[in-house]
Amino acid sequence: MVEKVTGSKGDFTVIVRKKARYVNEDLCTGCGACAEKCPTTVPDDYEMGLGNRKAIYRHYAQGIPSVFCIDPDYCRTFQGKKCGVCQKICQAKAIDYKQEDKVLELKVGAIILATGYDLFDATRISEYGYGRLANVVNSMEFERLSSASGPTEGHVKRPSDLRDHNLIKTKEKSLKKSTRTLAKYEKKHKMSTADFYKQFTAGNISDGDEFEKWVKQYENVREATRKLEELKARAEKFDIATRLAFIQCVGSRDFRFNKYCSSYCCMHSIKEAMMAKDHDARTEAYIFNMDLRTVGKGFEEYKVRGAEKLGLHYVRGRVAEITQDENENPIIWYEETTSQEVKSLTVDLAVLAVACEAPRGIEKVAELVGVALDHNRFFKTAPLNPLDTTVPGIFVCGCAQGPVDIPESVAQASSAASRAAEVIWQSTIEYGESHWKKKNPE
Amino acid sequence: MNKDILIIGGGIAGMQASLDLGDMGLQVHLVEKLTCIGGKMAQLDKTFPTNDCAI
Repeated sequence: MVEKVTGSKGDFTVIVRKKARYVNEDLCTGCGACAEKCPTTVPDDYEMGLGNRKAIYRHYAQGIPSVFCIDPDYCRTFQGKKCGVCQKICQAKAIDYKQEDKVLELKVGAIILATGYDLFDATRISEYGYGRLANVVNSMEFERLSSASGPTEGHVKRPSDLRDHNLIKTKEKSLKKSTRTLAKYEKKHKMSTADFYKQFTAGNISDGDEFEKWVKQYENVREATRKLEELKARAEKFDIATRLAFIQCVGSRDFRFNKYCSSYCCMHSIKEAMMAKDHDARTEAYIFNMDLRTVGKGFEEYKVRGAEKLGLHYVRGRVAEITQDENENPIIWYEETTSQEVKSLTVDLAVLAVACEAPRGIEKVAELVGVALDHNRFFKTAPLNPLDTTVPGIFVCGCAQGPVDIPESVAQASSAASRAAEVIWQSTIEYGESHWKKKNPE
Repeated sequence: MNKDILIIGGGIAGMQASLDLGDMGLQVHLVEKLTCIGGKMAQLDKTFPTNDCAI
């Protein structure tokens, strides 16, 4: 975390706080034994909350540096409970609960801001039902659902089914526990529960506290079993989502939220639809758009390939509302502008192509380094110096200056790197010249 | 006069800028708030145009 920036072009002093990982980076081998044994499960941000991680974790499997990190907000040891499992299991002796933050002072000649973006919070558009309807997800969540390394191993399962599967698991667990209690009663009174229940309801067994408890337990188990069977029957009906709706411009090109175009979402949705179709040939994908903005090298061909070879449906019309039917299937209400009709379409899963927004906390960064923001809260740049901020020696690249796709992000990064190197070498030359002049006065 | 460069953010842009500056022989300090570099692109399954894995 950058805490303080002082100085000017060619001579910045930066105070950086290096946060404690509570794992010694030089010793950790990244074997993962600690995470396997860690008793605390936490929703995983990397999987967009669709999967879980442990309190000792790596952001993602291939992450660099390949070193684990303890999350003190969830770790039992940091929460004052007895644990220390990771320390016991770690063969490299890398766990260090007493590690502290390090404050570094860096002397730098130039700064590049590559702070990226945040996704638009789709709960702000209540008519799309994100957060309220189970099977409406955003583009990044869909990305994780369709990823082979994601929580569903690449099968596009619906969040409602994932929820049901988890519910079945927990219900089965509690049912097992209740059945064990029944077995205890059976053993004590040397009678099977079914027999006991028959006799009790017939009035052959006199009232008693324990008998009443037994009856209650039995009735609970019967009810839970019935509910579990129902849930299982419903879960079996559904395999993977094959009817997909992609809703474009969610939070961008919208006068209520962001007026700008997020530029990459059209291509992103086409790509996601293609991936889903590749994974399962039964997939029918509908992309609801105002217009598909596929501007870039090879982009238009990609879009045409999607329609002609893979049969993606591009529907022109802005979605008005998303509702759901009794099976939690989203129903998309839209105006088909080519035929000028208001229509609805029932799908398995609706994917919102959410806007690219300036990251939360960008104001803090701007204040820290002293640069200005533009009216969309991205870092301010000039049209003819697209990577220069308002402060000389500080440059910006990628989505920190406005929405861009990956190829452009990479191109801007290389460009910003060159601009920063220019500062360093120019000042080196100037320094050399003045040094030379000092040594050799005329 | 300092020769090092600070890059704030370890996503695809920050990483590319770091690598380029490293290739030029300059020392780079890359600051990332998460435990790993990679940013949003590491979350993407596969990317345009070849539909190959992003990682």
